[in-house]
Amino acid sequence: MKNIKYILMATVLLLLYSCKEEYYLYNDIKRIQFGPDITRIYTPSFNMADTTKGYTFFYDNASKQIDTIFFDIYAIGGVSTKDRSFKLEQVAVPGAENAVSGKHYRPFNDATLVSKYMIKAGAIHAKVPVVMLRDASLKTTTVTLKFQIAENENFSIGEPSNVWRKAIFTDRLSQPNSWDAWLTQYYLGKYSVVKHSFFIEKSGQKWDNDFILLIRANFAELGYWKGMVKAALITYNAQNPGNPLKDETGEIVVIP
Amino acid sequence: MKNRFLYILLIASVLTSCFKDKGNYVYTEHEEITVTGIAASYDKISLVDKITIDPTVTSNKTGAEFKYWWGLYETSVQGAVPKVDTLVRTKAIDYLVVQPAKGWVLVFGAKNIKTGYTKIVTSNINVITQFTRGWYVAKTESGKTDLDLYTTPTTILPVGKVENVFSLANGRKLNGKAHSLRFYSDYKSLTGTSFLNTRALFVVTNEDASVVNIGTIKEIRDFNGLFFNAPSIKKPDILCNGAQSFFFINNGRLYSIYNMSSNTGQFGISQMVNEYNSDYKLSKFFYTPGFMDPLFFDELTSTFYSAGGASLQLASVRDAATTKMPSKNNNKNLLYLGFKTTAAAFGVFQDRTNPNLRILSTITPNINSLLMINDTLAANEKLYSATMHTLFNGDENMMYFVVGREIWSRNLSNRFEQLQYTVPGDESISFIRHQKYTTASDAPFNYNYVVVATKKGDTYVIRMFTKTSGNLNPAPAFTITGKGEAGDIIYMSPSVGGSTYPNTL
Repeated sequence: MKNIKYILMATVLLLLYSCKEEYYLYNDIKRIQFGPDITRIYTPSFNMADTTKGYTFFYDNASKQIDTIFFDIYAIGGVSTKDRSFKLEQVAVPGAENAVSGKHYRPFNDATLVSKYMIKAGAIHAKVPVVMLRDASLKTTTVTLKFQIAENENFSIGEPSNVWRKAIFTDRLSQPNSWDAWLTQYYLGKYSVVKHSFFIEKSGQKWDNDFILLIRANFAELGYWKGMVKAALITYNAQNPGNPLKDETGEIVVIP
Repeated sequence: MKNRFLYILLIASVLTSCFKDKGNYVYTEHEEITVTGIAASYDKISLVDKITIDPTVTSNKTGAEFKYWWGLYETSVQGAVPKVDTLVRTKAIDYLVVQPAKGWVLVFGAKNIKTGYTKIVTSNINVITQFTRGWYVAKTESGKTDLDLYTTPTTILPVGKVENVFSLANGRKLNGKAHSLRFYSDYKSLTGTSFLNTRALFVVTNEDASVVNIGTIKEIRDFNGLFFNAPSIKKPDILCNGAQSFFFINNGRLYSIYNMSSNTGQFGISQMVNEYNSDYKLSKFFYTPGFMDPLFFDELTSTFYSAGGASLQLASVRDAATTKMPSKNNNKNLLYLGFKTTAAAFGVFQDRTNPNLRILSTITPNINSLLMINDTLAANEKLYSATMHTLFNGDENMMYFVVGREIWSRNLSNRFEQLQYTVPGDESISFIRHQKYTTASDAPFNYNYVVVATKKGDTYVIRMFTKTSGNLNPAPAFTITGKGEAGDIIYMSPSVGGSTYPNTL
């Protein structure tokens, strides 16, 4: 009975408290944090989008030795009349093949990049370039570059969940960003390099990020391509009795 | 115990304390604005007719001063939000209709600027063209198909004729022999930058297909354009609709569009029959109530299947416990399957082992509980030798069928067969159909005909018979003739929708 009394009292206090509206102030100190694409900043479900981006040089000509992927970063606490630099630093990921500065990516303090890591005067948003280098080792490995914001004279760090980003890149066929969990569950199944190569071979399409983004904008077209590669897989397995297509880990390739 | 009630009371009072009092404490009489002089609907020819209305507007509040506006928005829109285009800001409107042929809604607004109260009145505007009303005949001359249009300006009886409207609009004819016309009001075509519902007529031959905008007869997509990847063999069998889907059988394989999600009006990959992608060949006879998944028949395995528009694989059909014939591997050829009602169908089967065994089957076409009640046909029954069939859509429980040059009827309740009509000796029958149009808002054009189309030399003759108690009246209500051989006929009007006619043959 005593417990019930305390629980009820606590409930009453919580209910009273719940009527209050909370306000967080962001004008105390200047902060900076990553975020989604600027078109998605008012869509809460995208708050944690783009934390990780993948890339492969696989589709590019041999002459292409560097490429850049971009992340979005936001200053909090208002605009400034001056350009404000921000600072990034690599974070090692345990168990992963960590990218090597100068070998796999251009260092964040590289002279050509320093001016890019800047929130321009009057702005609160900037695109953060990560310059990847097509090192020969990427033919056989996939590297991870995790980086985070470091405090500097202009900014403290923002929300802890949004102070880091990750780039995973290679020169091999790799899972496009748009081959995400939804596409995996409902259309294409678990990603594997063998499956990806099979799709490319049978359809004559690249199945890169742009292609998948294009077809997933139209369910009918997405269904068409899924059906096309599924029929091809059935034909392949029928032509290879007892030896169905298996991925690089030895698992049978399945399209749901 | 007493304390517990006290706490519950306390919690309840805390919860209710967050509610705001939204009571209405205004007790003055509501304003009533009355608008008269606007009809419920108007038919207007695009670029020819004007909307000319001067409504009367009154209010029960004295001294009312009104502001007016007229607007127009599109109906049957999917994939975009329709916008109201303001036409004028005067009480009277005199506006030349320039919109494309389809359904629109005219909106009139009258606002009492003293009270701020507004009355909105709407009216349906059917924007039409010379192509939106009349009988269309798909006909074939020298292996090429075109459309003849018989105009019906005031009643269902044709008074004018425009030959070859497909080639007039598109500069070419379709290859092959015409066999079906199908109309849908929600086929997606590119309108501006979006794919929106379009009133579209499909013209299908045994070698080709085209879908045209019924307002202009301009081709929206040709056979190749109808598919993401067109089949290498052009052999269209049927086109039909199902549960929010379109289905196309080409060379016995099923292609579909799921029409409830955004799409470009293109059919996808050929559906598989099983996880091994085995071969199959669907019959041209099928059943669809239009709002549920259709019933198809695989001629290779004598098996019924259903299909969803978004699926990649045909769906199995389950048998009712009391069915007299299994839906799977029943060792039959399907000679005919037709639509009786949205819950009833009839089929004519031939046994594959003993081709002399023919069956008339009464079918309850529930794909989750398919019920077939069989009636063996005797060789001396006329239906046994029939080559074409049609059922009365929702009318008398009768089947009409063709034996040579004769049109026979069979009462499906008592097996009574009766000769209804014999075509002249120099004619051969091309097809028979039962067609009716009962849309109340289009009463002057309502009809209920048994259509008998014949070929006479190089011309077609189409007789439209009315019927009394299931029997043909002696003379047709009207007859139309034209060059070539007719493959199908359909009556179009602005009120015809995708579910006006059953899809089956």
